[in-house]
Amino acid sequence: MKIIEKIKTNKLIDNPTEIQKFCLHKLQSRPLPNFKSELWRLSNKSKFSEFLDYSVNEKEPKFDIPFSKNSQNTIRLIIGENRQINLIEENYSIEQLSEDKLDEYFKEQISYFDQNQNWSDLLNLSLSCTKNILGLKINGSKIPPIEIFSHASNNSLSAKTLVIILEKNCDIELLQVNLGKENSSLSQSTFFCIEENSSLNHGVVSYGEKRSNLLNSLNVIQHKNSEYNLGTLHFKFNYARFEICIKQSVGEAKTNIKSMQITKKDEQISTYTRIDFNGPDGFLDQINKSLADDKSHAIFEGSIIVPKIAQKTDASQLSRNLLLSNFAQIDTKPQLEIIADDVKCKHGATISQLNEEELFYMRTRGITLPEASKLQLSSYFQEIISFIPVSKDRWNLLDKLLNEN
Amino acid sequence: MQNTMKESDPILEVQNLFASTDNLPILKGVSLTVYPGEIHAIMGRNGCGKSTLSKIIAGHPSYNVTNGEIKFSGENINSLEPEERSQSGIFLGFQYPIEIPGVSNLEFLRVSTNARRKFLNKEELDTFDFEELVKEKLELVKMDHAFLSRSVNQGFSGGEKKRNEILQMALLEPKIAILDETDSGLDIDALRIVASGIKKISNAQTGIILITHYQRLLDEIEPNYVHVMADGQIIKTGGSDLALELEKKGYEWTDNFVKET
Repeated sequence: MKIIEKIKTNKLIDNPTEIQKFCLHKLQSRPLPNFKSELWRLSNKSKFSEFLDYSVNEKEPKFDIPFSKNSQNTIRLIIGENRQINLIEENYSIEQLSEDKLDEYFKEQISYFDQNQNWSDLLNLSLSCTKNILGLKINGSKIPPIEIFSHASNNSLSAKTLVIILEKNCDIELLQVNLGKENSSLSQSTFFCIEENSSLNHGVVSYGEKRSNLLNSLNVIQHKNSEYNLGTLHFKFNYARFEICIKQSVGEAKTNIKSMQITKKDEQISTYTRIDFNGPDGFLDQINKSLADDKSHAIFEGSIIVPKIAQKTDASQLSRNLLLSNFAQIDTKPQLEIIADDVKCKHGATISQLNEEELFYMRTRGITLPEASKLQLSSYFQEIISFIPVSKDRWNLLDKLLNEN
Repeated sequence: MQNTMKESDPILEVQNLFASTDNLPILKGVSLTVYPGEIHAIMGRNGCGKSTLSKIIAGHPSYNVTNGEIKFSGENINSLEPEERSQSGIFLGFQYPIEIPGVSNLEFLRVSTNARRKFLNKEELDTFDFEELVKEKLELVKMDHAFLSRSVNQGFSGGEKKRNEILQMALLEPKIAILDETDSGLDIDALRIVASGIKKISNAQTGIILITHYQRLLDEIEPNYVHVMADGQIIKTGGSDLALELEKKGYEWTDNFVKET
């Protein structure tokens, strides 16, 4: 684990920023996450070691976005591309956060960090150089869709950070695409602050190549009357871990999550979510789907925290899983922690194989078994894919990727 | 009994068929022959093996044929996969049509129709040509075009699901259609629409097997033969008057018949 050795010996970064120093200092006291804790116990240690076995490469080769822009309107950004963003239009503005503002923002965030729960963020902020941190402040209306790309380079570990402050009364659609390369690791941390009466439709699509690894964390703070809709899809990673932490700061906000992970061969992909209701009248509707084939391993652990102050919370969390092979493994654990007494909360989990009666029905209509399985799987994906905010053109691309994989 | 076209070869011959699932015998020697143009009705109590017979003819993988054979157009089809049976012209209308969320009905119908057309060496239809064809067939079952854009059977009422089955039958143009309790869950109007659709689709080359508990479907579609099943066997065969007799007598006598034999 090259990275950990360098953290221990303080040789990771040549000229660390103040934030990097701070995070490194925290990591030095405990460089690795606690593998006995619920959050890490199922993580495959040897794959995790592979994630950490690359050196950080700050001089990345030029990155070409692998698909064409679907609309002239769409704003496309690549994290790590040294480009100043300052769009001030009639109805909206998108401004880049200054380094000082970002420092201030991170200091506040780090003060709430838990060493184990936010280990991925601490690592990310230790490794992300200024160039690889993109901070945006967005306000206004009729904002065009935004696409943000993070990518890893071959044989190296890349760390990218995204911060978005969505000011009051804004609606945006944002697609984040995380691309892994052969023999690479990508650490992506994202921080959103959604202010009052704002709405964010957020999609995260992550896919890798041979032996690529991903550590992706997403931290969202939702203010009063905000709405956050998240659709995610992760596939083709040797090791990938997606950590979602959403806080409804005073309740009275809506969160909808539809996420999916697909594992094949010996891959391990996991999703951990934590939704905190810090006030009354919060709403959550969450579904996580896993699909595991061959000898792969998919993990979902979700927790919903409803303290006494969060009366009238309405939360639902469902984990639906499909095992395609007798050797694949799925671990799922949706859980509720409720102190408030006037709430409506439910959770559930199912693990099944392809529905034989559905398959038989399709086969009696002349559709072959492989085609019927494919149709059934695509119907399984559909609920999630249709929730990710991208255009029809992009679906065709996703369909192609899913078919290939 | 009405005259049928016995001079041609049978479409379907089920010969002394024994079948089981999880080592539990379900069919215990069923024989049935259907010629082109014939309509057969199979009646019997719940659990007598009617639906199992239909599924076995369609090739359900959960059932094992332990003895006997099923011949379709003179060929033994015991080892054919369900899709091969469908492509060659066997249609099973489900008692409980399956919902497939996320798969558009239009696309499902198109893929199915093209699978059959491919077998018949007919040109496969693209979306536009298929839309034309399906529009014409929708008329037969008085279905709204809007049903095509929905997921297969999802959110359909019982009657709409059954009409969707008959629409599929119309598109696939099977040589033999086995309709498993197509009348269940239908009100009188829906039953008439479904029955009229079946009559319009069937012709002198098609065989139809209606599986039902009740006379009311047979009031709309008069069968040539009525078979009564009990305990995995056909215990009596007659003309359409047998169905009327069953309506009066009920099925209790079939239990006694099984005990005695």
